[in-house]
Amino acid sequence: MSMATPRRLGRDRWAALCLAAFAMTAFGLTFTFDSMPASLMEGLGAAEFPRLVCLIILALSVFLFFASPPSEEEVLPEVHSCTWWTLAACLGFFPLLGLIGMLPALFLFPVIVGRLWGERRIMVLLASSTLVTVTIWLLFVRVFRFTLPGGLLGDLLFG
Amino acid sequence: MEAFLGGMASLGDPFVVFMILAGTLIGITVGALPGISGSTTIALMLPLTLGLDPVVSLAFLGSIYCAANFGGSITAILVNAPGDPSASATALEGYKMAERGEAGMALGMSAVASAIGGIFSVVVMIIAAPLLSRAAYNFGPPEYLALALFGLSMCAAVGSDNPLKNLIAAALGVLLATVGIDLTTGVERYTFGFYDLTDGVSFVAALIGLFAVGEMLDQATQQMGKPTLLKMDAVRVPGRAEFRKCNRSIWLGSVIGTLVGVLPALGATAAALIGYNETRRWSKHKHEFGHGSIEGVAGPEAANNAAVGGCMVPTLALGIPGSATTAIILAGLIVQGVRPGPHLFTEQPTLLYAVFASMLAANILYLVIGLGAAKLFARISLIPASLLWPAVFVLSVIGAYGANQSMGDVWLMMGFGILGFLFRRIGFSPAPLIMGLVLGAMVEESLKQSLLIFGDGVVAGFAGRPIALVLFAITAVGLLAPPAYRLLSRMRQPQAREV
Repeated sequence: MSMATPRRLGRDRWAALCLAAFAMTAFGLTFTFDSMPASLMEGLGAAEFPRLVCLIILALSVFLFFASPPSEEEVLPEVHSCTWWTLAACLGFFPLLGLIGMLPALFLFPVIVGRLWGERRIMVLLASSTLVTVTIWLLFVRVFRFTLPGGLLGDLLFG
Repeated sequence: MEAFLGGMASLGDPFVVFMILAGTLIGITVGALPGISGSTTIALMLPLTLGLDPVVSLAFLGSIYCAANFGGSITAILVNAPGDPSASATALEGYKMAERGEAGMALGMSAVASAIGGIFSVVVMIIAAPLLSRAAYNFGPPEYLALALFGLSMCAAVGSDNPLKNLIAAALGVLLATVGIDLTTGVERYTFGFYDLTDGVSFVAALIGLFAVGEMLDQATQQMGKPTLLKMDAVRVPGRAEFRKCNRSIWLGSVIGTLVGVLPALGATAAALIGYNETRRWSKHKHEFGHGSIEGVAGPEAANNAAVGGCMVPTLALGIPGSATTAIILAGLIVQGVRPGPHLFTEQPTLLYAVFASMLAANILYLVIGLGAAKLFARISLIPASLLWPAVFVLSVIGAYGANQSMGDVWLMMGFGILGFLFRRIGFSPAPLIMGLVLGAMVEESLKQSLLIFGDGVVAGFAGRPIALVLFAITAVGLLAPPAYRLLSRMRQPQAREV
């Protein structure tokens, strides 16, 4: 594995900075919690424990920052474009679900993502997707009596 | 005794037996699939069990847990790709045996050693869990606080190889556990006005997101090549000569696995690696290691399956998860309204003994199935990732939605999925985060109660609780000793160079 150049801040130090910022934000947010009247307070309040945990995260982030010299970090392989497309498909799944309903969206997802992942046999994709969707319908809708979101299309067709 | 017999009698219920069989088959199948671990599957299956009786649900999840460890060894031996992380030690020797044309013997020994290790640990669990719970029955909030902190400190050794990152992940989990209404004051914390968050972060959505969706995005980056399956003869039951050779390894692995499993947070993977090292250390045939040693298959396989029963001891007796997978099972029990701990042995002993009985049955079942159909399960590893992982996402969506029939939980799952991917990318592991999420409520609750009990004399109060003090001391030593040792070593090195 090649080593990173020492000039960079380094992955772990970036992570430490982000975590420290997160801990400080979470610490600050504890001041927005509703306060209890002093007469009703006994022991620790609602905000003290999260504050304590935030301080611990902050302290550990500082340790991580100083314990992670960038020169010792391995360079990671770049995120494959397939990951970004898969993530986009996952996020695109939600508006699609709102439009056509959960079951049809669940049917389309494996076909689209399977294609993205390199499966070229469309009949295999359709067969596998049908199998998964039918199994879900039988198990969750017929046996467990779940009501799956119908989306705009479902509302239009079935009210 | 009555409860024990009652628990064993649950095996007479055809539905329980069906669920154990289903759990065992699912466990071996997913265990054999590289990338999908037992913990991912249990997270995915959790929503299915929420509507079931706790006995059935625990029997089902426990069977998956037992069988997935064994299933992982099938692909470890035949493909050199451990289906489950706990089988990574098995691949070292098992694949070499398969290359030599002894795959059938390696798989046979793996099945038998796994079953012996698993059954040994269940027997230990039947004896040790009630004893531990009896001892813990007198535990008060200070002891539980010390125990939970000990469990969190053990997270340093779980997941990634950087203890600091593991501790940060565990602390993040504890912080996430504070989301929702504070039960003592009724104050909302970190809900941002979202109704779905008032009851706290949904365990199911978090688990599925971190383990299944996060793993899917990670697999998309790795773009695994198609595995090649080595040819194998029929699975062979080890003969007397093989047993004589591996006897010591199997028992050593079983004892090590059970002990490692009992320690909070350490799980089957750590047990298998320690089991492998100790088997090699005590073997009379050390020269065979690295070239396909059958002892190197027996030891870690006995250890990783023994760890399953061991992990269940602190989970059920104390409510402290013994591993990431038992943390998921524990989360499932909490969602069902069952709070594991010492009182469970007096209030619902039948439930516990039913769990023990089902795990015993699962160990026997996977031995039979493993010996009979390992060849078939090995073919499962050839399912293309392009069909497998999109189906996992579909199951994740329905699983997250099904817990509360809420789209908010599906969004939450997606958020945790992205977090899980980022975690893996920057070298963090989701396992300690889950441990923190599960233990967070216990830490806060016991800390608040301890402070109330002791009032102004907190230091004197804790000083009067020897068990809590011992646990605090072990936690402090466990956390501080490794960095102190490293620092001392670094300081000595320049001196040695000067000399």
